[in-house]
Amino acid sequence: MSANGRPEVDPITLSTVWHGFQTICREMRAHMERTAQSYLMAVLRDISVGLWKADGTTIAMPEGLFDQFLGARFVIEDIRKKFGDELYPGDVIVTNDPYHGDSPHLPDWGFIRPIFYEGELLFFTLCRGHVMDTGGSFPGGYFPNAYDIHAEGLCIPPIKIYERGVECRDVAELIFNNVRFRDEMRIDTQAMMSTTRFGEQRALEIVDRYGPELVDACIEEMIERTERAMRAQIAAIPDGTYYGEAATDDDGTVLDEPVWIRVEIVIEGDEMTIDFSKSDAQRPGFVNRVLAATVGTAFGSVLMMMDASLADYHNEGSLRPLHIVAPEGNVTNARYPATVGGSPVAVGGQIQDAIMEALSEALPHRAQAAWARHRGDYTFSTDPRTGKPYVRTTFDYDGSAGAVAGFDGATGPVVHGVVMRGNVEEAEVRFPWKMLKLEIVPDFMGAGQWRAGGGVDWRAVNEGAPGRMATGSSDGDEMVPRGVLGGHHCPPSRTFVQRGEEIIRVKPHRMQEFQPGDVLIKLSSGGAGVGDPRERDPEAVQRDVRNEFVTLEAAKKIYGVALDPESLEIDDARTAELRSGPATPVEVVIDEENLTVGLREPA
Amino acid sequence: MLGKAAEASGEPLDEFLGRVEHLFHGTTLGTNLLLTKRGAKVALLTTQHFRDVIEIRRGVRNLGESVFNQVRAPYEPLVPRHLRFGIPERVLHTGQVELPLDEAAVEQAVRTAVTEDCGAIAIGFLHSYANQAHEHRAKAIAERIAPDLHVVCSSDVLPTRGEFERFSTAVVSGYVGRAVSAYLQNLEGELRAHGFAGSLLIMLSSALMQTVDQCHDRAVELLASGPAAAPAAALAVGKSFGHLDLIEIDMGGTSFDVCVIRGGAIPTTQEAWVGEERVATKMVDIHSLGAGGGSIASIDALGLLRVGPQSAGADPGPAAYGKSDLPTVTDADLILGYLPSDFFLGGEMSLDVDRAAAAVASVGEPLGLGLEETADTIFRTVTVNMAGAVTEVCTKRGHDVRSFAIVAGGGAGGIHSAAIAEHLRIPTVIFPTAQPVLSAMGMLIMEIGQELAKVGTWDRTEVTAEELETTFEQMTATEQETFRRMGVDLAEVTLTRSIAARYQGQFHEVAIDVLPGDDRETLIQRFHDRYEEIYGYSLPWRAVEILECHLRGSVAQAPPARLAPAHEPPALEDARTGDRRCYLRGGWDDVPVYRRELLHPGHAFAGPALIDSRTSTILVPESFDASVDEDRNVILHLRDATGVPTSVRAAEKVGA
Repeated sequence: MSANGRPEVDPITLSTVWHGFQTICREMRAHMERTAQSYLMAVLRDISVGLWKADGTTIAMPEGLFDQFLGARFVIEDIRKKFGDELYPGDVIVTNDPYHGDSPHLPDWGFIRPIFYEGELLFFTLCRGHVMDTGGSFPGGYFPNAYDIHAEGLCIPPIKIYERGVECRDVAELIFNNVRFRDEMRIDTQAMMSTTRFGEQRALEIVDRYGPELVDACIEEMIERTERAMRAQIAAIPDGTYYGEAATDDDGTVLDEPVWIRVEIVIEGDEMTIDFSKSDAQRPGFVNRVLAATVGTAFGSVLMMMDASLADYHNEGSLRPLHIVAPEGNVTNARYPATVGGSPVAVGGQIQDAIMEALSEALPHRAQAAWARHRGDYTFSTDPRTGKPYVRTTFDYDGSAGAVAGFDGATGPVVHGVVMRGNVEEAEVRFPWKMLKLEIVPDFMGAGQWRAGGGVDWRAVNEGAPGRMATGSSDGDEMVPRGVLGGHHCPPSRTFVQRGEEIIRVKPHRMQEFQPGDVLIKLSSGGAGVGDPRERDPEAVQRDVRNEFVTLEAAKKIYGVALDPESLEIDDARTAELRSGPATPVEVVIDEENLTVGLREPA
Repeated sequence: MLGKAAEASGEPLDEFLGRVEHLFHGTTLGTNLLLTKRGAKVALLTTQHFRDVIEIRRGVRNLGESVFNQVRAPYEPLVPRHLRFGIPERVLHTGQVELPLDEAAVEQAVRTAVTEDCGAIAIGFLHSYANQAHEHRAKAIAERIAPDLHVVCSSDVLPTRGEFERFSTAVVSGYVGRAVSAYLQNLEGELRAHGFAGSLLIMLSSALMQTVDQCHDRAVELLASGPAAAPAAALAVGKSFGHLDLIEIDMGGTSFDVCVIRGGAIPTTQEAWVGEERVATKMVDIHSLGAGGGSIASIDALGLLRVGPQSAGADPGPAAYGKSDLPTVTDADLILGYLPSDFFLGGEMSLDVDRAAAAVASVGEPLGLGLEETADTIFRTVTVNMAGAVTEVCTKRGHDVRSFAIVAGGGAGGIHSAAIAEHLRIPTVIFPTAQPVLSAMGMLIMEIGQELAKVGTWDRTEVTAEELETTFEQMTATEQETFRRMGVDLAEVTLTRSIAARYQGQFHEVAIDVLPGDDRETLIQRFHDRYEEIYGYSLPWRAVEILECHLRGSVAQAPPARLAPAHEPPALEDARTGDRRCYLRGGWDDVPVYRRELLHPGHAFAGPALIDSRTSTILVPESFDASVDEDRNVILHLRDATGVPTSVRAAEKVGA
């Protein structure tokens, strides 16, 4: 025994147990991908998993969407409170309730399994993902303008769907009778439950091998080490208050009125307080966050800004020095029965951007500009090839990464790399939309000393029946994500439906009908930049022009680099001249008649 | 190498080669080209408006990187955007041509690629797995205009749905294909010129084999063909000890390969990334690190000593080879006394100790380190690097290294493997007789395998057993023809059938064996059972889709002849050739040296010791005991190995 009363742990056992838990989480996500039938979960990985101690202490959280799992201790505490001693091996608890189950919104269904060893409750594991449907007035989720949380869909408080390994049939029947796609929903929920069982088996293998005391000693040791390292990170940031802000175009009910997230991050010694008090009050529309989701997003955003050496180790210890202030009734801590359907994108994205903006000021050597906003929608119609209804959403039409200090942003990644895009070939088999285009658009990203990843032009034609789409998972037509340290903001994005000669603009947070033959067009910007573009290495600009990431015009007007239009040789003298003069005031805009991206000098 | 074999058999090379029936060959050329970025300049011809597929790459950010590590360089595609050409054409997922191929656009793109000095062209069109016509037509045009270019079609390399994986694999095939293909053709030509009349079989990264002409269009399958057979050898050796959990390591001149075998299963994957590239063909799951005998020691920007990943290779080689002044791991091993200066490769090559010493000393000087301290630091650094690679594939996947045995291979593996084991507390290290050529041993004992897959055009939920039977019969004919061309007696071929099935709507399949006489109901029931076995539940109410037929053909090779055991082993002392001064644990000691060729089953001794052979030297550190088994494998046991610890309750449970 060591001084703290725990068994001594040798380094190899510590490392094996620790990585063992991380591996379980990765394998759980793979298990889910291999068994689900929902495109969103199986292909795009819109699922999160993790392991917690019986008291809600976070053990492992290597993979997932921040708001789906980083705040999971709340739901575990709620479950402990509600069920007390009435938790048994073989139980599975389901919930999607934002107000009693800490779900970000109703489509994110969480399955929670208590894990027992020789009769003692040791852990909880969770698998939470965006399911195909959750009832409400429109399939899939993200539809705007519901009256209250009940109008957004079936709201399931934490209840047992399995008890001691036996399905609670009445409960299941009630649930599946209130959602669309009931067979498909059964497959996916079965997959999620089996994923938690897989996590249970693997965790118990570790406990079987080393014994619960040694395993617990490993967990506590890692949490303590991580907490020390995290505190050292925070202590290295100069004390003070750092400010960041971001806004969404509107709340989907009160139209065209932005909603603001304003965050003050206070560093005091080795503690960090993230204060949302100055953010807007909760809204009539669906952009509200519940506290658990705000906490999850905020934690994840802070951890992304910490040193990479901690990346593989984050756990409860990383979270202990972090404190969240979010007054009830604020858009970051909404009160029942506010709608929350759009909140993973807005204001979830804004919470993330505001924190990154504030911390980029505090940690300029790890500055990270905002990523592109989503350009999502939920499309509901019938596939004439099967005669069956379908609901489609994807990340394929999203933009790209923001830049980071020292590197350009990557082209392609979405949601900081935790989800994936699909293949055109799979999407065309699954949905009656033929893809016309998915291509990078020159200049359509935040410029900077380090520029963002590219924005895209995505087009597809409807070969199916008439239908409707909800654009609740789109944002960024007006209120664009911002660059840092002098980097440029994301250009604004646009969505259109082209019907013959007619071009219909479709704003975020709206409902839109479509017809057979309609072409859906999404001009979806890249991320934001870091640093002044006029300090970018001219050779990098030259390379970008050669690869048609940047036009000759933008090279000159935005980056201050003169290139020969034919040979693309750098004109050093002219470049020096351009860079010594005042910057050309120019912005990247979308031509809404020709559906192209170009530069414009502001009026 | 073949010259040496002929010499050993006492025949002229031509005669010797004339008697060879099968020649197996593996190479690391492809991997080396990719990892050192020395492949061909590649152009990509792809469907218009989709030329960014290989850059967007399904949103993958940095490989294996946590979301909490964002400050990273973005991926740079092998084919830069200005060499990716969008061609007007469109095929639908049904295989139907919606827009004919714009041949003029193909011609123009090929001409631009030639002007840009490209050495290879990859062609990847949407849905080409369903209809290869456009890709093949574009290839014909490219080969007509630019006959010197290596041209690859994505549907030849990987005929499956999913354009990112298919295009990426095709681009990699183009990148390495030209050099690999030329190398193999040259090799075969030379062999034929020297009287070889048998079949030359090329080892693939999947551990299957194919002929040289089959490799041309699918060079990507040779990416890591060199090491792919080594795990089979390691497993054969491990099994003879009853060890089914093995860490196979192979340390050669430039790279260190690790493969983790659990429960006797050699891991394969179709999820591989090689370097930063997605390669979706099937591969034996081997992790590679730039560490070998030729790895160069240097001082980095922070003033720390680093070893590798740059390598002096075999030419010019380490300073001790006398052709360079590059300080390498081999030089350090020589200075420390582990390598014999006068018995390297059985005395065929003498090592230049002075030149090695000068090179090693030059690295240590700026750090204020003496010669042996520097050499010792190089030795320790490369050991830690390799131990890290083992941790990466074993510990970091949650497996306790202490319950594994190392099977060590490669020329440099003899000196370094026990040090790695000591560092990680792995209790057993096995040095097979074939240790320096583990991969070659693997090729000689493993099955000669061929696999065929056929994507069904049938109704997936209704397909009958008869339809499957017809497909399998066609596949059987194709596969038998391949074996015939390999020079294999068809009577020796074992064919096994399986199907890939899933619940309707899912995205991943489960492999189900197909046995003679199976009807549809039997197959469906077998799917439900197998699914339940893997995932812990089944959905008997849901329709089952059958997507593909798979046929595996294999030919077992005769097991290698076992050496006749000597009844009375000669005394251990007879195997001892003397002592060598070695730098161990911070001081110089005289260490006993044994000749491996003279060691006999039953011999055992304690470390420290050295075991020299014509091809390699084994270092037995002080903390190990060595013994020789019936197959003349040398086995090292860590003397104070602790095994896997357990806390009180788990210990009691095991006791009960």
